[in-house]
Amino acid sequence: MTLEEQIRSNRIRSGMLVLSFGLVFVGIGAAVQALYGGVSLIVIAGVAFIYAIFSWFANGSMIGSWTGARLVTKEQYPELVRAVENAAIGAGLEQPPQVRVVDDPCPNAFAAGGSPKSSYIAATTGLLGIMDKRELEAVVAHEIGHVRNRDVRLMSLAAVLVGVVALVADLALRFAFFGGARRRGGGNPILMIVGIAMLILAPIAAFGIQMSLSRRREYLADGSSAEITGDPEGLALALWKLKGDKTELRHANRATAHLYIETPLNNTSGARAALSGLFNTHPSLDARIELLEKMGGFQLSALVGPQPKLS
Amino acid sequence: MVPVIVIAAVVVLIAIWAVLIFNRLVRLGNEAKRGWSNIDVQLKRRADLIPNLVEAVKGYAAHERTVFEEVTAARTAMQQATGPAQAGEANKQASAALGRLFAVSEAYPQLRASENFQKLQDELTDTEDKIAAARRYYNQTVYQYNSRLQSFPDLIVARLGAFREREFFELEQPADAQPPSVEFPTGAGPQ
Repeated sequence: MTLEEQIRSNRIRSGMLVLSFGLVFVGIGAAVQALYGGVSLIVIAGVAFIYAIFSWFANGSMIGSWTGARLVTKEQYPELVRAVENAAIGAGLEQPPQVRVVDDPCPNAFAAGGSPKSSYIAATTGLLGIMDKRELEAVVAHEIGHVRNRDVRLMSLAAVLVGVVALVADLALRFAFFGGARRRGGGNPILMIVGIAMLILAPIAAFGIQMSLSRRREYLADGSSAEITGDPEGLALALWKLKGDKTELRHANRATAHLYIETPLNNTSGARAALSGLFNTHPSLDARIELLEKMGGFQLSALVGPQPKLS
Repeated sequence: MVPVIVIAAVVVLIAIWAVLIFNRLVRLGNEAKRGWSNIDVQLKRRADLIPNLVEAVKGYAAHERTVFEEVTAARTAMQQATGPAQAGEANKQASAALGRLFAVSEAYPQLRASENFQKLQDELTDTEDKIAAARRYYNQTVYQYNSRLQSFPDLIVARLGAFREREFFELEQPADAQPPSVEFPTGAGPQ
């Protein structure tokens, strides 16, 4: 797939995403109407429509406030801002995206926003702490790759739309069990079962859409990073460092997980671990490192020790 | 009547097709131009920083004249260069001369401790990084653009539109401009 094809497909998918988001909300609206009656369908679909339009333009700042990413200047973080400038030049962007920082010890990074001009790159203070200049540039170039490939709008939209589907369906379900259903008492039981089933299925469908977006895109952005910096080794070293890290990002949740360079939900044991393996938004770091080794014709194990250090 | 319509249709199709090719060449050419302006900006910034650096070093090591002359000569060559190929040569010369200047300055601890010197060194490293980044993008674009100009059918449109090949910047092997290619795993299943 060439860059132009990728960009076109991303544009189409963004439209499709908004459309299916609308459909899911018509479904939720219908379910709520079946449970409570009234004009719920029109009200819910209307609110969802306004929310979708709002998201199209403001998803960047929405994600910024969810994740705690604040705008920073070159004086505050010269190395990070320079890395962003360099990667933007290497990718041929007309202007470098804005730069944000998240105060969190867990090393991670993401890109969000709409068009390349309104996008931003965010890095955690943890990332800045453990990466040297070369590795930081590789990670930033991965994010710039998302910006250049026009992944950011699609991924940001998925984050703000998916999150709200789960929220609304959850709210409606709570009311169904604890409130309105009792009040209306003699509703049609079949309609009510269908309604509840729909409310349960809506978030699952939303997460399905979100997951289908991410994995291939990560490989492509890794490839873009290697192309921008000319240094696949640097990114492999950075991913290796991320692999050694087991901390969890404070502000990350299911809705924003797919934005990050590495999955921010590191559950190492128990039922949550099994679940997160099943619903992973990212390919494994080993698979990504292997691909970079093929691109650059090197062996990471020859550059570093066999085991990543635990931090 | 029918043959006339067929011929007219063929002519129109060919014209549309030629326009599409023309537009693609113009777009690639513009991208290469933007890539070059990115390099040019940094080359100018580098040339502006050099006199300040020479002044700063002179304050502590006035007798290292040969190095100063070398750096100044390289700077003049950078400013007089016309076109990417010449600018590339001059830039290489400047990098070598600056490398020697920094090597010389190692012997002067007071100079290395000076804030002004550190700042200049930092700025020059940054320009070097940015030139490297801009060069990669520029050479990749020029490679795509030139290959289009050389291959059929773009070749015909390029000849008619008087498109000319662009020079590479600091590149020994044109093939080096190609980004590394690799097969991506396409499976979406759990890994």
